[in-house]
Amino acid sequence: MTIELLNQEFETNLGQLKSYLLRITASAIDAEDIAQDTYIKATEKLETFRGESSLKTWFFTIASNLAKDNLRAQKRWVENVTDITKDAALSNQNFFQEAMDIRMTSPNGQYEAKEHIAFCFTCISKSLPLEQQLCIFLKEVYEFKVSEIATILNTSEAMVKYYLHTGRSKMITIFGGRCALINKNGVCHQCSELNGIFNPKQNTQEELMKINLVKEAEKGNKEHLFDLRMQILREIDPYKSKASELQLHHLEHNRRVMENYL
Amino acid sequence: MKRLITFFTVLTIMPTIATSSQTGKAATVKTAFHRETTVSIEINAEPPILWALLTKASDYPRWNSTITSIEGNIALGEKIKLKSKLDAKRTFKLKVKEFDPEKKLGWGDGQGKRIYTIAKNGNGTVTFSMTEKIGGPMFPLYAKMIPSFDQSFEQFANDLKKESETIMNLK
Repeated sequence: MTIELLNQEFETNLGQLKSYLLRITASAIDAEDIAQDTYIKATEKLETFRGESSLKTWFFTIASNLAKDNLRAQKRWVENVTDITKDAALSNQNFFQEAMDIRMTSPNGQYEAKEHIAFCFTCISKSLPLEQQLCIFLKEVYEFKVSEIATILNTSEAMVKYYLHTGRSKMITIFGGRCALINKNGVCHQCSELNGIFNPKQNTQEELMKINLVKEAEKGNKEHLFDLRMQILREIDPYKSKASELQLHHLEHNRRVMENYL
Repeated sequence: MKRLITFFTVLTIMPTIATSSQTGKAATVKTAFHRETTVSIEINAEPPILWALLTKASDYPRWNSTITSIEGNIALGEKIKLKSKLDAKRTFKLKVKEFDPEKKLGWGDGQGKRIYTIAKNGNGTVTFSMTEKIGGPMFPLYAKMIPSFDQSFEQFANDLKKESETIMNLK
């Protein structure tokens, strides 16, 4: 293994690595720091890398170990995080002013319901135990195999399966109860409400019906709806998407609110 | 003498027969002062999965149709509050008395004790058993008021089997 090859592979995987760390810590600054520390550790330990896993798996192993020690990654939020942060946003005049400025001036400041769905999952996933949250992201979003996740998290495949199954079941229950996109009685309409604010000329219902998750909702297959939600996350790079700056602003707001709330 | 030996052998073996079957059918042995219910079932999953399910208190209602809620931390010496569907009005205040990871878990109170065991079969499967022994000197006075555990035990064992095997079969 040469440093040139490591640099090349790190560069290739950096986008996914940072996106993973952002979703785990809910902090762009911490995600950046951990990504840098991952690179430093990888170069320091280059001689110990024996090729038993791919370099991508190795980078995610180092990053996950660093993330497990990160206070913001360790911090667990609550299932109704979006209710609490919505109330905080409504009582904070700066929030909507800042968001509207981003919407009007940034090329990455568009609002799209799909992006908000991904953002919402990131926030609510922080109510799971950390191991369950890490497993879900690694498997469902970054598409590692169970055996690779066991390596990354230094646990058994049996426990990875347990974390995946229980985490997935909990998220299906939470979204099944809360999300108005898939449940007519769901209490959370934030992606629709925000679409009305940021895209006032759009017909929100028409926009929502373009999303497979919403189109399939009536069939009521909860497992399938969860898979469609995960597909949305896979397709969105929270640093480069058309809505990335707006969603990063929302995420920073939510993290600050939750740090004060908990 | 031969007849006497046979009589004692039967007495000794009877509880063993009740615990060694892996059919998921419960068996109850009653005496004047005690009642003991046992169920055993073969499960095609690894012990850590069963152990994780048995020791995560808040997760029980999700997979176990016999339990309404368990509050507290399932760890040695800890106290837990259990509500079961068999006796919905009562909250059982129990103490975790045995805790041997991936092998044996036990909790109970002054009236009884429940033991869960996980034993590897050597072919990738495990035998899960649960036994509850209730009783004491006053047992004859209230024995008739305690419902049979058989159906609830069978449900518990089958729920654990279904959930463990679902997890084990994840790809």
